[in-house]
Amino acid sequence: MALFRTAEIIKASKLPPEGVKLSRMIDAVYFLPIAYLGVFATFHMHFDLLAGDWDFWVDWKDRQFWVTVTPIVEVMYPGAIMYYFWTFYRQPFGATLSITGLLVGKWITVLFAWYWWANFPANFVMPATMVSSALILDCTLLLTRSWMLTAIFGVWAFAMVFNPTQYAIFGYSHQPLVVDGQLLSLADYMGFTYVRTGTPEYIRIIEVGSLRTFGGHTVWISAFFSAFISMLMFTIWWQIGHFVGQSFFWVKGRRGVMSRKNDIMIVGTDEFAARHGTPDGVAPRLSGGATLAEGKS
Amino acid sequence: MNAKNIFKLCVIGSLGMATLGLTLVFNASPAAAHGERSQEPFLRMRTAQWYDTRWNPQKTAVNDEAMLSGKMHISEDWPRAVVKPNRTFINVGSPSSVFTRLSSKVNGTPMFTSGPMELGGDYEYVIKLRGRLPGHHHIHPMLAVNGAGPIAGPGGWMDIQGNYKDFTNPAKLLVGGTIDTETAGLAVGLFWHILWGGLGFAWIGWFMIRPMFLIRARVLAQEGGDALLNDPVDRVVAFGMLGVVFVLIAIGFFVTDSQYPYTIPLQAGEPKIKATHLRSDLTVKVLAADYDVPGRALRMTLQVTNSGEHPLRIGEFTTAGIRFLNKVGVANNMDPDYPPEIMAVDGLHVEDESPINPGESKEIKIDSRDSLWEVQRLMDLVHDPEQRFGGLVMSWDESGNRHINSIAGNIIPVFTRASAS
Repeated sequence: MALFRTAEIIKASKLPPEGVKLSRMIDAVYFLPIAYLGVFATFHMHFDLLAGDWDFWVDWKDRQFWVTVTPIVEVMYPGAIMYYFWTFYRQPFGATLSITGLLVGKWITVLFAWYWWANFPANFVMPATMVSSALILDCTLLLTRSWMLTAIFGVWAFAMVFNPTQYAIFGYSHQPLVVDGQLLSLADYMGFTYVRTGTPEYIRIIEVGSLRTFGGHTVWISAFFSAFISMLMFTIWWQIGHFVGQSFFWVKGRRGVMSRKNDIMIVGTDEFAARHGTPDGVAPRLSGGATLAEGKS
Repeated sequence: MNAKNIFKLCVIGSLGMATLGLTLVFNASPAAAHGERSQEPFLRMRTAQWYDTRWNPQKTAVNDEAMLSGKMHISEDWPRAVVKPNRTFINVGSPSSVFTRLSSKVNGTPMFTSGPMELGGDYEYVIKLRGRLPGHHHIHPMLAVNGAGPIAGPGGWMDIQGNYKDFTNPAKLLVGGTIDTETAGLAVGLFWHILWGGLGFAWIGWFMIRPMFLIRARVLAQEGGDALLNDPVDRVVAFGMLGVVFVLIAIGFFVTDSQYPYTIPLQAGEPKIKATHLRSDLTVKVLAADYDVPGRALRMTLQVTNSGEHPLRIGEFTTAGIRFLNKVGVANNMDPDYPPEIMAVDGLHVEDESPINPGESKEIKIDSRDSLWEVQRLMDLVHDPEQRFGGLVMSWDESGNRHINSIAGNIIPVFTRASAS
């Protein structure tokens, strides 16, 4: 027994063997050079413009704003990308693709801009990772097959696991030390010791002692807040994906009337040719070959 | 798209790739300074007035300590165009972190975060550095002002010799043990990034090994296609992946928590630094000043009164970190290590060189004349929206005691030699 339903799916696609082979070539060309690189480049730019500073420096990674801002910004692009891959292909890797792409971009920046060019140590400029959150989001979509349930449960978990995931990477930087009689975290000291124009703390937007009424549980309050806003952002960006990702054709009929065809898969079939004619010089295929519509009950 | 168009795109793409490649082959030459001359004169002359700056030693080795120190007077005539220094930070202007900063004290108070400074206040800073990246570096003290940006002080050259690979920056932790800030947490961070990245790519790869787009789109368009694409094995893998993700997050969190039981949040306090004030027996008032554009000179007419007990002689005028001295200044305040490119040892001319005697009040004319006005782009003063200048006038008594006055006033440009009489 086969592991996957691949054979059934290929059969249902009614593509001839050469069509199947061609589709795999299209997969390779479309996915890696176009979809992946396109997403990683644009998402990287999007993230750096909205939340970049929190992910550049270890002394920006506070328990209030970093925890709030990062998931909100990182859920936006995946929302639109997930819409596209899920709606048109039922592929549940939109979030993982976006966020691994973002990380590829971030690491290129870390290695080439910060480490190689500007000579900062890599640990000082190490980015956060939200691949764990992305996997939760994709798995939720696959299992629920509902963007609404994904927005409610998946996105909530997406934001809530941000801090525990990062703690494994950046926990060390919150160890205390004393310099010149003043208590600092290691992250503060690293921000101080590595000379840069951006050192004064007023440039950073970090917690300066608010949220006192919540008993000091700043990080979890921030994560909750972030989760709610992330839900909203995911929904908005899913709809942006819907708006941008619409596929349709304007077709000129036999009597010269333009009409919108939302079923793009029908274009090129015999049924389409029978209804709308064929372009000049192209003879309609008059064989009894199957049409897509035959599969419909 | 025909073959010709494809060929055109290939040529354009190849040129683009070649351009990117060339940027790696022809590396940019090292920066020799930090654009301090591009800061407007009013910003350099009337905000932080730097003096007694020292780069010590000027030659050091990787891991060895050095000091950047000096004094700074916050001008009373702070420009309207610049946000007041309510939140400031003494920084170091350097090409990347060629030194690490070990400590920074302003008037004896450690300055890790920003704090307010007082108009008319005087501040002495001592910044302890450790050589990190070998090379010949241009180092400035720098005052960062919230809302106004960094204001560069005078730049001096410091050499670091040795090998970067030998550099370490140990920091002693409060809970015991020492950590090297160059490598702390790096291995653990890389481990988690590789692990999560690997899982992410494995998840995508799980769907890449099967038809991804065209075939699925055709099936999805059919009645029943959605159900067919809902492969049960994918659901099992998704449940498994969720389990793995949550378990890994829990392991990472609790192991780290047990490893570092004592942690603190990022600190964002504020140092309370008490200003000192300049002391001088001399009272100086600017009666008139003009800037001789062709002659490259600032000419001042000052009303000076000596209320002390000793005769005083004016020996130096310093502004924007640039020093103009005469014989008195050279005799009393000549630092042979001060960068010669920002010092004019014969740049100050006092019309009446007789001392200002105790109780005496007189009008004197001072002329600070040197090509530095042009080289350091202070002649751009004439293009400022507010035609005022500022600086420090230094005078000495016979015992070598220094008296410093901060001056400021309107300035009139003189554009032609004909009118520069």
